[in-house]
Amino acid sequence: MVRARGLIVLTAATMVAFACGGSTGGGGGSKGTIKIGSDLPVCTVGGQAVQNGIQFAIQQRNASGGVEGYTVQFQGFDDCRQGSYSADAGVENVQKMLGDSKFLGMIGPYNSAVAKAEIPIAAPQHFVMISPANTNPCLTKDLPTCSYHPQDLRAGNANNYWRVVTTDDYQGPAMADYIYKQLKFTKVGILDDSTVFGVGIAGSFETEFKKLGGTVVKHSEYKKEQTSDWKSILLAFKNGGAQAVYVGGTDDQNICIPRKQMKDIGWDVPFTGGDGIETSDCINQASGNEPNIYATSAGADATQVDGAKQAIADFRKAFPGPNDFGGYTMQAYDATNALMDAIGRAVKTANGTPTRDQVRAEMAKTKGFKGAIGTYDFDDKGDTSLKIVSIYVVKGNLSDADVKSSTGVCGSKTAKNACFVWKTQFDFAQASSQ
Amino acid sequence: MSLTDYGFYILCATAIVLLATQAFTNPKDFFQVTIFGLADGAIYALVALGYTMVYGIIELINFAHGDVFTLGAYIGAAILAFFAGANEGSFVVVNVIALLLVFPIVMLIMGGINITIERIAYRPLRNAPRLAPLITAIGMSFVLEGIMFMWHGAPTVHFPDLLPHGPGFQTTIGGVFFGFKDVFVVVAAAILVSLLAVFINGSKLGKAMRATAQDRDAAQLMGIDINRTIAATFFIGAVLAGAGGMIWGLYFNTIYYNLGFRTGLVAFTAAVFGGIGNIPGAAIGGLIIGLVAAYSDGYIGSKWTEVVIFGILIGVLVFRPTGLLGMRVPEK
Repeated sequence: MVRARGLIVLTAATMVAFACGGSTGGGGGSKGTIKIGSDLPVCTVGGQAVQNGIQFAIQQRNASGGVEGYTVQFQGFDDCRQGSYSADAGVENVQKMLGDSKFLGMIGPYNSAVAKAEIPIAAPQHFVMISPANTNPCLTKDLPTCSYHPQDLRAGNANNYWRVVTTDDYQGPAMADYIYKQLKFTKVGILDDSTVFGVGIAGSFETEFKKLGGTVVKHSEYKKEQTSDWKSILLAFKNGGAQAVYVGGTDDQNICIPRKQMKDIGWDVPFTGGDGIETSDCINQASGNEPNIYATSAGADATQVDGAKQAIADFRKAFPGPNDFGGYTMQAYDATNALMDAIGRAVKTANGTPTRDQVRAEMAKTKGFKGAIGTYDFDDKGDTSLKIVSIYVVKGNLSDADVKSSTGVCGSKTAKNACFVWKTQFDFAQASSQ
Repeated sequence: MSLTDYGFYILCATAIVLLATQAFTNPKDFFQVTIFGLADGAIYALVALGYTMVYGIIELINFAHGDVFTLGAYIGAAILAFFAGANEGSFVVVNVIALLLVFPIVMLIMGGINITIERIAYRPLRNAPRLAPLITAIGMSFVLEGIMFMWHGAPTVHFPDLLPHGPGFQTTIGGVFFGFKDVFVVVAAAILVSLLAVFINGSKLGKAMRATAQDRDAAQLMGIDINRTIAATFFIGAVLAGAGGMIWGLYFNTIYYNLGFRTGLVAFTAAVFGGIGNIPGAAIGGLIIGLVAAYSDGYIGSKWTEVVIFGILIGVLVFRPTGLLGMRVPEK
């Protein structure tokens, strides 16, 4: 269903793009078309919500005359295989984009593991990639905990990769701080899903929590294809005196089913994690035990940023579906605008259709970008100067009005009144400058 | 007794001693984990029965069986959401009636589907080389997963939460927590397995099945309709898998399209463990695998659980190739 709807939206968006290109021809929209691609796991609700943000940004830009007279055409690629993201599929998609010279850049990918596979093939071609959601620090930072290095991914080429969200090395510590200082818990159990993302974020949480003086009762891991019953693991946490559970993982690895099973063993403590659990699917997996799931998101919450209110309201008009808006939709909107701005500057420099390298060079010069989620720069590695981590919590039995004013990340059917609501945010840029 | 027998008994004894130590030092945890294991094991047992019955009669590892189990859960979820979706989480008489009605409906539907699968994918290949039906079985497995994928996509599917839980339906005895759900799973599985045992040992069709399993040609000479008997075997296997899927759904409340792959593999292991073709063996094998998985999750670490389960399988096959209770396959 999600996929079918995505196709319809995609077709509609393309038609709108063409229509606008035609109608604004007098205003200089007749220089031709350029293409922007995306590579996202469109089979997931989160991936689809990101694609919506990209489409919305492009629709807006085309409606106001396009990029320096060029009409932007969008083509979304899906990196889902068998229902969850696949790095191989992502690489295939990037190769398709590289094969079409009209593509001047892409938004995505959504998953860090996919980015790791894609950067090495995109970098030699100077193909700009801007991710709205990748949070693995190793993609841009050379940390001792990394199993690969950013300079190796780029193989001597100039940086072609940027991201508008901050990194897991902030996400994990933010939750550790929150649990230790705000919830005042000193003992936790940690569960990770054995993926690159899950192990990374759980590790950064554990380091920070121990540094603060907390105790990790037990750190367990599982693999999706091998586990359906987490009760024995949870029991060990419970008996160890854990006051909260921290999970490193994503909903497509069933990371939130343990939340439901905590109820089955009669254990009621907060269930916390990273952005991989800030999803509708996670609420659905919790299946009757939704409240008190805490999740971080490596970025400012657009709904809490005054400057984004108008963009969100306009987005909601264009994409009214209940799951159309997600935690990274505005990040995708910003990423797309940053890319289109860079293309615009490159058009001026080239005085015509720019090359990929020209777009890349302009993207690298981005300073003081005014996005929906704030005004920010990118450093030479590709990271944003906005180092905000938001914390959300699931509240159950919300009134319909409260559901509307929540993040919009709610469960489906029986859990449709259980939604993530914004709780607080940590600004690490401020903390470090103080 | 041969040397391998000694090896087998030594392995068993070591495991029992280790567990007994745990039971002694921390009985609360031990019995809690045992309850988790029994509930999981009961479901594995229901699925394992389907594997073992089919293998016993036509020596086919029906790889699609795990997916038949999952499809049962999907169909059950759809029907239950339609009839009783509004009453989730509360204990009302309507839920009980809905469950009593939907259980047999799903079991019959799954039986019908499995007969169809047998007719399409296995019967035409009955006299083909052994590898051919094995491949079609793998194919059927992917077809069923594909159907469920098209139906609900990749995300997990919510199974209506109709079993009573919460205060009044849970209790703590000696520090061990268990609820109505845990009891329900074990009792429901026990009832189904007992009914199957009565049917196989007491009915004419059951006798025909045993005869066909022993020697197909001789059974045919005695006037047994082989096609009908084999179809009945698939039907009963799927009835149990369908019930297993329903029970899984009611217990875990979350299902996903490729759930059957892992569950099927574990259940198959349980069937081999108990002695393939041996019906009580499959039931006991399922329970033991469930317990082993729970103990491994609890005491060793869940990343080792699969290693432990399949390590045991290797151990059993090396020291006791016919499984715990002995193999029952057609005589050559």
